[in-house]
Amino acid sequence: MDAREAPSQRPDTLDITMEDGSNAASAGDSLEAPSNLVPFKDNILPQEESIDLGGAEFATPHEDSSATPSESLMDRLNDQMMESVMISDSPNNSEEEDVAPMDSFLDGGEDLKPAREDEGKEGSQEQPFNQLQAVFSGTDDPFATALSLSEVDRRHDAWLPSEETRKVLISVATQQYSPAYVESSRLTMPGLKFDNLQVDAVKDLMLRFLGEQAAMKRQVLTANSVEQSVIGLKQLVSSKNWRAAVDLTGRLLTAHGQGYGKAGQPTSHTTDSLQLWFVRLALFTKLNLFQNAELEFEPFGNLDQPDLYYEYYPTVYPGKRGSMVPFSMRLLHAELPQYLAKPQEALDRLHHLETICLAILDNLEKGLAEDGSMVTLTQENRQASLKLWRSRLGRVMYSMANCLLLMKDYILAVETYHSIIQYEPQQRVQLLSGIGRIFLQIGDVKMAERYFQDVEKGCQKGGPVTNTTCVLMNRAFVYLSQNNYTEAHATFLEVLKIDPKNPVANNNAAVCLLYLGRLKESLGQLEGLVQQDPTSYLHESVLFNLTTMYELESSRSTQKKQALLEAVACREGDSFNTQCLKLA
Amino acid sequence: MDVNQAKQEHLLALKVMRLTKPTLFTNLPVTCEERDLPGDLFGQLMKQDPSTIKGAESLMLGEMLTLPQNFGNIFLGETFSSYISVHNDSTQIVKDILVKADLQTSSQRLNLSASNSAVAELKPECCIDDVIHHEVKEIGTHILVCAVSYTTQFGEKLYFRKFFKFQVLKPLDVKTKFYNAESDLSSVTDEVFLEAQIQNITTSPMFMEKVSLEPTIMYNVTELNTVASGDDGESTFGKMSYLQPMDTRQYLYCLKPKAEYAEKAGVIKGVTMIGKLDIVWRTNLGERGRLQTSQLQRMAPGYGDIRLSLEMIPDTVNLEEPFDIVCKITNCSERTMDLVVEMCNTRSIHWCGISGRQLGKLSPGASLLLPLTIFSSVQGLQSISGLRLTDTFLKRTYEYDDIAQNGPTVELCTSYLTLFAS
Repeated sequence: MDAREAPSQRPDTLDITMEDGSNAASAGDSLEAPSNLVPFKDNILPQEESIDLGGAEFATPHEDSSATPSESLMDRLNDQMMESVMISDSPNNSEEEDVAPMDSFLDGGEDLKPAREDEGKEGSQEQPFNQLQAVFSGTDDPFATALSLSEVDRRHDAWLPSEETRKVLISVATQQYSPAYVESSRLTMPGLKFDNLQVDAVKDLMLRFLGEQAAMKRQVLTANSVEQSVIGLKQLVSSKNWRAAVDLTGRLLTAHGQGYGKAGQPTSHTTDSLQLWFVRLALFTKLNLFQNAELEFEPFGNLDQPDLYYEYYPTVYPGKRGSMVPFSMRLLHAELPQYLAKPQEALDRLHHLETICLAILDNLEKGLAEDGSMVTLTQENRQASLKLWRSRLGRVMYSMANCLLLMKDYILAVETYHSIIQYEPQQRVQLLSGIGRIFLQIGDVKMAERYFQDVEKGCQKGGPVTNTTCVLMNRAFVYLSQNNYTEAHATFLEVLKIDPKNPVANNNAAVCLLYLGRLKESLGQLEGLVQQDPTSYLHESVLFNLTTMYELESSRSTQKKQALLEAVACREGDSFNTQCLKLA
Repeated sequence: MDVNQAKQEHLLALKVMRLTKPTLFTNLPVTCEERDLPGDLFGQLMKQDPSTIKGAESLMLGEMLTLPQNFGNIFLGETFSSYISVHNDSTQIVKDILVKADLQTSSQRLNLSASNSAVAELKPECCIDDVIHHEVKEIGTHILVCAVSYTTQFGEKLYFRKFFKFQVLKPLDVKTKFYNAESDLSSVTDEVFLEAQIQNITTSPMFMEKVSLEPTIMYNVTELNTVASGDDGESTFGKMSYLQPMDTRQYLYCLKPKAEYAEKAGVIKGVTMIGKLDIVWRTNLGERGRLQTSQLQRMAPGYGDIRLSLEMIPDTVNLEEPFDIVCKITNCSERTMDLVVEMCNTRSIHWCGISGRQLGKLSPGASLLLPLTIFSSVQGLQSISGLRLTDTFLKRTYEYDDIAQNGPTVELCTSYLTLFAS
C-alpha cells in the first residue's frame, strides 16, 4: 500500500503515534495567542511564536516495507533496547511490609543474657532502681566519683530541652524519689514492630539459580550463632550480617521489656537500651528499610520527651544531667525523612539540630556550661567541649548539604558544603572536589573547572599522595564531560600508576573503555579485578557495571552472573544488595 | 528477504545499548561517635567501602562511575550514542559479517555505521563492536534498524534485523516577544528589542551554556544578559546558572538596523526577518544539546499612513511659559498627501499658533518638519495631545494624542515623553 502523503503536511497518518505531536510546528503555523507576561498597552498585539526547530517539511515515507500498515514490521518492533531493566537506585524491599507476629523463639530455650544486670527490669517508673545504688555503695563519696567521670559525660550528653520538658524535669528534681505524674502521651513507649528479618537474599538466589546443594553451603553468621550480647552484635555488624544484627537487637530489646507488641506500654529507659535502639534503627537505614525505621522511631517523638533525660531518673543516675539519646541517634532521626520523600521535614529537623549546636557553642564561648548553667569549666574541658560540639555541628552540616543535594537544590547544597570547610579544614580538598562534581552533574563544566583549579592550587608538591590522585581524578572527570574518553581513560591510568590498587580509578578506567567501543577489554579488566581482589571489587557499583556489560556482550550472560553469585556467596553477609547481580 | 526471526536460530547475537553519560554513585552515610555502642564500627565500614570518599566519608556524591541502567529520555538537539555489539554465540567460525545500522524517522533514513565493509571472519566468543553517534534533529518516533548479514562455515548466507524504537521529545519551549523602541531623538534608527522566554520542559536540570541571537544582515545585535563587572561579565541570572525542570528564563537582545538599512527601517512594512536564536545546553556530566530556531519574524510596526515623531523637545519647562517643539511628519503611504494641521487644547496643554493651516503636499516616503509652540498650565508629567492631521485628498483625519505613542506600537518607558512643569 502506498502511504504517500501530500508534501508539507505533518504525517499524522503514519501508524506511529507521536508522543509530542502538538508542538513540532512548521513554518506555516499561525502565531499562538499571547500570554500575559509583560504589561503592555491593550491595543498592541504582541507577537509570539513557538519555535520551528529546523524541521524539514516531512517528505513522503521511505519505500521500505516498514511503512506499510497491519502486516508491517511495526508489529514486530523490538521495543527493548538491550532488554533494559529499570534498576532503581534504592532497592524496594518488600520485607518492609512484612509485619509478622514474633515467633516465640524465646521458647526455644535460648539463654538471653541482658547486657547489664540492672537493666533487666520491666515495670513502672515508681519503683526505685535498687541495683544501681549498689554500684556506688562501694566508695566513700559517690558524688566525687561521679564527678570525675562526669566531665566527659557532661559534654557528650549536654542538650537543651524544650520549655515543657524542662518544667517536667524540674518538678522531678524537686521530688526525690517519685517522679511527678506525666501524661503518657509525653512518655516514650517504644516496642519492636518488625521481627525476624533474617531473610538472606543471597541464599534465596542461590536456591533458585545454583540449586539446593550449593545453597546449603552458604554460611553466614546469624543471630543464633553469636553471643547474645553487645559483643555478638558487634560481630554481626562488622561481618556485614546486618539483618541478623537487627534480629539480635530485637532480642536484646525484648529483654529490656521493649519487644514486639510492647509499643505503647509504659517502660523505662537507660543509656544501654537507647544505644540498642540506635543500632537497630541505624541498621534499618543501612539496609534501606526506611519505613521500618520510621515506624519504630515513632514512639520516640522528637527525642525530647522528659523520660529520655537523666534528670528523670534521679535514683538511677544521681546527679547526672543531660539527654540519654545519643547525638548520632538524633542525627539519624533528622536525616530519615529525606529517604521517605520528605526532604523538607529532614531539613527542618536538621536546622533544629544546628540551632541547638550553635546555642551550645555560644554558651561555651561565653564561659558557661553547655546547657547555659553557671558552671565553671577548666580550660582543658572547655577546649575539649568546643572541639566536640564543633565537630558535631560539622556533621549536621554534612547532613544538610547531602539533603539539599538529594532535593536537587544545587545552589544551597554547594554553599553548605563550602561552609563545612571552616569546621573540617582537613577535608578541604575532598569538599571542593565534591562541589566540582556537583557542577559537572548540572552541566556547568566551566564552574567545575574553577573549583578543580582551586583544589590544585591548594595542593602543594610533596603533599600527601591522596591530593595528587584527587587532582588527577578531577581532571579525568572534566575530560569525560568534554566527551574525551581517550584522555579520561589515560588520566585514570595515571592515577593507577601512583595508586595501583585504587578501586575507583580501575572501575572508571573500565567504564571509559566501554565508551571507546572496547567491550571485551573493559570486561576483562573488571572481571580480573573482581577475581583478584574481591574485598574491594565485590561492590554494588562495580557489579552493576559488570553485569550490565555481561548483558551487552551476549545472550548467555546468566552463567557469568551465576559465577558472580558464587563469589558473592562465600564472602558477603546477609546485607548484600543482590539487585546488582541482575538475576531477578 | 525473509525476516522471520522466530524460526531461525542465529549464530550471531546482536546487542544494542544506549550510551548516555555515566552517573556518579551516591552513598548513604550512617555514622556514630566513639562512645556509642558500635564504637568505630560504622566508621570502619564506611572507610572500607570502596565507593566512599576517603577522608570525607560523609560526602554523599562519590567518584565511582556507574553505567546507565535504562534508556532514559532523549531530546531534540541531543546526541544519540549507542553501543552496537555483534557476538559470535556459536562454536563455529563465521565469515563475511556485515553490520549496518540505520536510523529511520518519519521523514528519512540515515546510515549511522562507522564502517561499511564486511568483517572477514569472527571466531567463537568474539565480537564486533561499534559505537554510533547521531545528533537528533527531529521530534517523534525514531527506529534504529540494525541489520546483520553473515556466512556460516558451510557457506549458508544468513541475515537478520532488529528494530529498536524510541521517542524523541521536545526539550525547550521558546516564546518570543518584540518591542519596538520609538526612534531616539538624535538619530533616525529604530531599535528593536527581542525578549526570548525559554522554558525547560525536560525532567532534569539544564545548564544553559549559550543563548545567542544570530541576526540577519540587516541588523546588529547587542545581547543584554550580562552585567559588566571586570573582565568577565556576570550573568544577569547570578548564581542560578541552571534551569530546573519547568523553570523559565528570559533573555533580552537589542537589535539595531545597520546604517545602510536605517532609512528603510522607518518605512518598512510587513514582515521582516530578524535572526535566529542559537541555544546550547548541557546536562549530566556535560551531555550536550543544541537547537536553533527558524528565522524569527517581526511585523514592522504599522505607523499607519502618517508617522508623527518628535525631533526636538525640552526635558523640563516652566509652568505657563511657552516652549518650542519640532515634529517630524513622515508620509508612510503609497500616495501623495495634502495635509492640514489642527491643534486642540487639553486641560493641561495649550497650543500657540494657527490651527487649521495647510502644510502642503507630501509625497510618499517624504517627511517634513513642523515647529510648534505650546505651554503647560498644570504641574507634573504631562503628555502632549491634541494634534490632528487631515489628508484633504481622502478627507481622512489622523488624531495624535499622547504623542509618544502612535498607533499599534509598543513604547518603552524611556521614550515616553517627559515633560516636567515646575
